[in-house]
Amino acid sequence: MAKGLIKGLGITLNRFFKPKVTVQYPEERLPLPDRFYGRPEFYYDKCIACNMCVNACPNRVIKLETETVDKKKVVTKYDFDQQYCLFCGLCQEACPKDAIKFSKDFELTRYHRPDIKIEFVKPEMVERKKAEIKKAAAEKAAAEAAKAREQEEQNPAAGKEGS
Amino acid sequence: MENLFVNMASGMRSLLASAGLPDTATDFILMFLKLGAILVYILISALWLVYMERKVSAYMQCRIGPNRVGPLGLLQTTADIGKLISKEIIIPRCADKKLFLLGPILIFMPPLAVFAVAPFGKDMVAIDMNIGVYYFLAVASLSTVIVWMSGWASNNKYSLIGGMRVVAQMVSYEMPLILSIVGVIILTGTLNMSEIIRAQENVWFIFLQPLGFLIYLIAGVAETNRAPFDLVEGESEIICGPFTEYSGMGFAMFFLAEYANVVLVSVMATTLFLGGWHAPFGLTFIPSWIWFLLKVYVMIFLFMWFRWTYPRVRVDQLMEFGWKVLVPLSIANIFVTGIGKYLYQTIRW
Amino acid sequence: MTIKTEEFLLNLGPQHPSTHGVFRIVLTLDGETVVKAVPVPGYLHRGIEKIAESRTYTQVIPYTDRLDYLAGMLMNWGYVIAVEKLMGVEVPERAEYIRVIVGELARIASHLVATGAYAADIGGLTGFIYTFRDREEIMDLFEMISGARLTPSYMRIGGVAYDIPEGFIEKCRKFLDDFPKAIEEYNGLITGNEIFQARTKNVAILPAEKAIDMSLSGPVLRASGVNYDLRKARPYSVYDRFEFEVPMGAKGDCFDRYYVRILEMEQSAKIIRQALDQLPEGPIKGKVPKVIKPPRGEAYAEIESSKGIMGTYVVSDGSTQPYRVHFRRPSFVNLGYLDEMLKGWKIADVIAILGSIDIVLGEVDA
Repeated sequence: MAKGLIKGLGITLNRFFKPKVTVQYPEERLPLPDRFYGRPEFYYDKCIACNMCVNACPNRVIKLETETVDKKKVVTKYDFDQQYCLFCGLCQEACPKDAIKFSKDFELTRYHRPDIKIEFVKPEMVERKKAEIKKAAAEKAAAEAAKAREQEEQNPAAGKEGS
Repeated sequence: MENLFVNMASGMRSLLASAGLPDTATDFILMFLKLGAILVYILISALWLVYMERKVSAYMQCRIGPNRVGPLGLLQTTADIGKLISKEIIIPRCADKKLFLLGPILIFMPPLAVFAVAPFGKDMVAIDMNIGVYYFLAVASLSTVIVWMSGWASNNKYSLIGGMRVVAQMVSYEMPLILSIVGVIILTGTLNMSEIIRAQENVWFIFLQPLGFLIYLIAGVAETNRAPFDLVEGESEIICGPFTEYSGMGFAMFFLAEYANVVLVSVMATTLFLGGWHAPFGLTFIPSWIWFLLKVYVMIFLFMWFRWTYPRVRVDQLMEFGWKVLVPLSIANIFVTGIGKYLYQTIRW
Repeated sequence: MTIKTEEFLLNLGPQHPSTHGVFRIVLTLDGETVVKAVPVPGYLHRGIEKIAESRTYTQVIPYTDRLDYLAGMLMNWGYVIAVEKLMGVEVPERAEYIRVIVGELARIASHLVATGAYAADIGGLTGFIYTFRDREEIMDLFEMISGARLTPSYMRIGGVAYDIPEGFIEKCRKFLDDFPKAIEEYNGLITGNEIFQARTKNVAILPAEKAIDMSLSGPVLRASGVNYDLRKARPYSVYDRFEFEVPMGAKGDCFDRYYVRILEMEQSAKIIRQALDQLPEGPIKGKVPKVIKPPRGEAYAEIESSKGIMGTYVVSDGSTQPYRVHFRRPSFVNLGYLDEMLKGWKIADVIAILGSIDIVLGEVDA
């Protein structure tokens, strides 16, 4: 009559003595797979400011601003407003240069709302990039100038020889 | 060890007597101390049981349970109670304020009053009343009124339904509970708890009254409002029944009183069916009161085991089961016990 | 002497421990007996269909996760299959197999929640924890393959987002090997329990004709003895290549609705096993242009989700964004008969009946 009742008691008692399945979270952690969508990471130097991620995002989480220095685009702002993020990974998929990636960090809670938004691009990074571009441009210009000078130096002689 | 508490009491008595107090004053102070000790026991026990319940449920569900506050999480309940005390007591606007506040205050009274007659060990009973069992049944059922009162005073429909369920359930299950005990009373011929325990020196009544014990167990679960008969709280149906509107300490009082009731029913089961403080297999080197508490906690574990295994019955099924199964069975049990005793006596003499 | 009695209104929900979310039922009660029941959905309405109109076709996928959030994979599938039909995209075989595997895993996960939550509705909390313990394995598998546990957004128009990662198949097989034991445990703890049976058997019997009239689907329909499973009746994807049965109930009471799900989980496990064995090599995404621009037109496609028939209707005006998307959400349609089913039963049964339909509020309210 009460077979099921007794069987149920047997199951719970059996479980009572068996090892437990819970993980003691802050001390123990489960391994996360590589594809895990945690906190996003942005690689400033890889970004080519193509706006693909901005367009791929369903929730318009990413704000990207650029400045043109010497005909080259420099990312001046890359804000990732995490509170609206769906963690769908479409931005990561859209990026042709792997400049945005999701890390395994899942502890995203913050005490203050302004801290939720990640501002990836720091002014000094922009400065550095700008300086780099300028330097590169200057170097290029210098190299070109040097080359021109060299040619100039060689050319008169050649001209002389030729004439 | 055996006479630890008895000696403490007599030592206290002689100390007070040597201080030149009159006998009545000594008795009075001593009684006060005894009841105080019981009060402390119940409160600590309730705290422990909340922890035990959480651990037992966790272990049955493949979890670990509380393990952060204090060693092994032992202080978890204390912390919870501390939190509940510090919380605001919210009184709903349309509630009957006086009755609403009276509920949690009174809810602890019936179990406390009943514990006065509970024999915790050899000669360890605060008041050795000759109608102890009767007193237990009478006072324990008082909590029905208090729970119903709180359900009514909350002025919440869920609370009201819960309160009505309390009354229906308690009335229905008080019957088989009492009738199942009658068998024991027929066997011993006394209502005194100590006498009943003494009568079980050779054989526990669980072996003479297996059906009586089973009925007592089922009705006891129903009396304490625990699964599978936790219709009064019925979390998935009526949220928390009569306690829905209570917050903070008011809720904590009901919560702790539930555990006090569990201890109470277990104490009674131990006294009436499990041989009270008698040691099984002649293991008398362990003090009687330890045996008693051990049996009580085995009973409590049984209750918890039921709770974390069974689903809840429905209200009409509960009534049907009570009146159509348990009451006839317990009456049959009384008949069988009576005939058995008569036959035993006629053959013996 | 007659006591004057009167009926009263009881507002069950939206804040209630066991309405599976924010569902509300206004009950007229005579004592504990239900006289009249008025279901009030809509507390979780987020306007997903409207949101979809201002998103590109791919961007809708993460929102479909949030419909039936217990089986996000199936919701993804229901949407992408409609867009694929609209565009006439051919899905590679490997992608179809992967879809079947994750889809059936999602079905098991969803049914596990239904089973556990039903046990909790009836009052046995331990069953709830047991099913969630086993569901965790599936969530880990989803995390492995898609990067997210609950909202995978795994399917893409024309295929799936990623290929099966290393170790996935072994882990999946291990789960399938352990699963029968788990089912045995549920049967011992929940199904076989006399109290559970007393609570659910013969409660709220739903006759087959009425179920069909109300166009109910999924386990709720099959529990009434109607053999209608899209996977068998009109096989989509590669379902015609697998051997499985369609479990059915006899009576159509709460117990049947509950037990059909347990049987279905067994069948799903069987399908996954076959799919893993037959899994072909090949690409995981069909030939889909980078910018998805379906031709002007409309398409309607259905799949068998865990709750019933999940249909998606997509209208395209030729731009990159859908002109209109409509989801036929099985949970919502299955609720159609609820008010009549509740009549005459007790408050405790209200929870049992609602639980047996197995609704997910994200899907009901969309």
